[in-house]
Amino acid sequence: MLHVSLFKRNIMNINIKDLRFAYPTGLEALKGINLAIDSGEQVAIVGQNGAGKTTLVRHFNGLLKPASGSVSIGDWDTTKYSVAKLASRVGYVFQNPDEQLFSRDVLTEVSFGPRNLGYEKTKVDELVKRALALTELSEKTGTNPYDLSPTWRKMVALASIIAMDTPIVIFDEPTTGQDAMNVARIANVIAVLKREGKTVITITHDIDFCAENFERVIALADGRVLLDGPAREVLGEEETLAQTYVEPPQLTRLGKKLGLKEIVTTQEEFIKAVVQD
Amino acid sequence: MHERLSFHIKRDSVLHRLNPLTKLVLTLALIFLAFTFPWYWMPHLLILIAVIPLSLLGKVFREFWLTALKLILPAAGFLFLMQAFFQPIGTDVIFKFYFLDITSESLMFAFKNAMRVFVMVSAFTLFLLTTHPSELMSDLTRRGLPGQFAYVIISTLQIIPQMQAKAQTIISAQRSRGLDTESTFFKRAGSVLPLVGPLVFGSLVEVEERAIAIEARGFTSKHAKTSLHEIPDSDFDKILRWILFALIVFSIGLNLWLS
Ligand SMILES: Nc1ncnc2c1ncn2[C@@H]1O[C@H](COP(=O)(O)OP(=O)(O)OP(=O)(O)O)[C@@H](O)[C@H]1O
Ligand SMILES: [Mg+2]
Repeated sequence: MLHVSLFKRNIMNINIKDLRFAYPTGLEALKGINLAIDSGEQVAIVGQNGAGKTTLVRHFNGLLKPASGSVSIGDWDTTKYSVAKLASRVGYVFQNPDEQLFSRDVLTEVSFGPRNLGYEKTKVDELVKRALALTELSEKTGTNPYDLSPTWRKMVALASIIAMDTPIVIFDEPTTGQDAMNVARIANVIAVLKREGKTVITITHDIDFCAENFERVIALADGRVLLDGPAREVLGEEETLAQTYVEPPQLTRLGKKLGLKEIVTTQEEFIKAVVQD
Repeated sequence: MHERLSFHIKRDSVLHRLNPLTKLVLTLALIFLAFTFPWYWMPHLLILIAVIPLSLLGKVFREFWLTALKLILPAAGFLFLMQAFFQPIGTDVIFKFYFLDITSESLMFAFKNAMRVFVMVSAFTLFLLTTHPSELMSDLTRRGLPGQFAYVIISTLQIIPQMQAKAQTIISAQRSRGLDTESTFFKRAGSVLPLVGPLVFGSLVEVEERAIAIEARGFTSKHAKTSLHEIPDSDFDKILRWILFALIVFSIGLNLWLS
């Protein structure tokens, strides 16, 4: 059992080589990206509006195909597999839930994915139930997603992807426009997925959220990788981050102002560093 | 936002700068002259002295002739063949094909009609290429066309590209969740079904939202509205419109008088 799961983990790495992509308008959105993301990693992608974050992750589930270079998910080259096939490996929560939701009620919406993936009926029911519980939607199964508030619509979008039980899950700006309660719910979802050993890739403009929930941060600027590394290192690079209009988290900046020796990103680190000084 | 909602090509030319109503009258004048002027060579002359120069003047020569070659010429050609074969006029048979006779009269008649249609479609194409639909509509509403009318026309023009964009979005969302839409014919046909509901429902929701949005901007208000967007209407435009109008009347009058 142990080595089976190890084997499974190894083959779900994401490998991106010299990826370039241009939209039909002629705009080159990705200008040569090289990245490797291991199974089970928690990665945040940051960068200014238009940096190419959404364009990059849309290559992971095959909605976009490289103009040159390659993207592979485990042993699958995305150009050789359909989006529907790739959906069994990569779940992608759209930036805008209005572009993602289309069903008449929450239950149909959330079971759409797992049903397509061909799981058995009992497995589908179980996955849907779990996803609904995790997103606290169990009471709202009969509601039309259009009748929910935008914050809850976002949760439906999340649930509909989580229910697919894919080894890789991508969230495109999950916390934008959400209240503190919902941000906490989303952080909880990410923590649960992490415990299950899934790869979680999250695009975010919320740098405090990024510092608290992710081990690795990738900063994109103008279609290129600007920084890539452990959260603490990347978020400490104030000058470089400024190039893509990202400010380090509040605590990191406060720590610097106070002249702490180490770069801190979370509350615990901050308190520890202050006590040590 | 992509400008795929109309034929319109944004350029700076004399034709683009004309008032939309002037261009509409120009289009109608070309059509009326081609169809009513009692002289055989009129449509041909119009192509030479109006359609070609206008396509140059509007800086849409290339786009216009591409459309013409792909769309208008085949249509006119088809019309020509049909009329040449099936028009039972004339006695001077020049070609026999089983039971079908082609006379020189039917040939002449067919040629003229094909040219008339060519002028008509060309005139409209030139008009659409050089006029933005919303500019035309705001000019017409300013002149007293009821807003509801303009709304119906504009939304009809936009419904197809909007539906296409919406369908594309839904298909992306469904494929991302494992709906197989590309492998076999059956799967492709089957995947149309899950698309219909959301497309219709989503469009209805959009209609409601749009109704609220335009009402919030005083759509049904009875007061005269000020437009942010000034549409130029020069003296030259006014004079040109009268001349074109006179030409239309003259052509129709001549036609009636001679018949
Ligand atoms: N469908 C499209 N057609 C043409 N250009 C596009 C399209 N989608 C995005 N772009 C352009 O590609 C560039 C990268 O866009 P992308 O959506 O990947 O940025 P992003 O980093 O996700 O930004 P944001 O933070 O605003 O979501 C932008 O300049 C954008 O205008
Ligand atoms: Mg984006």
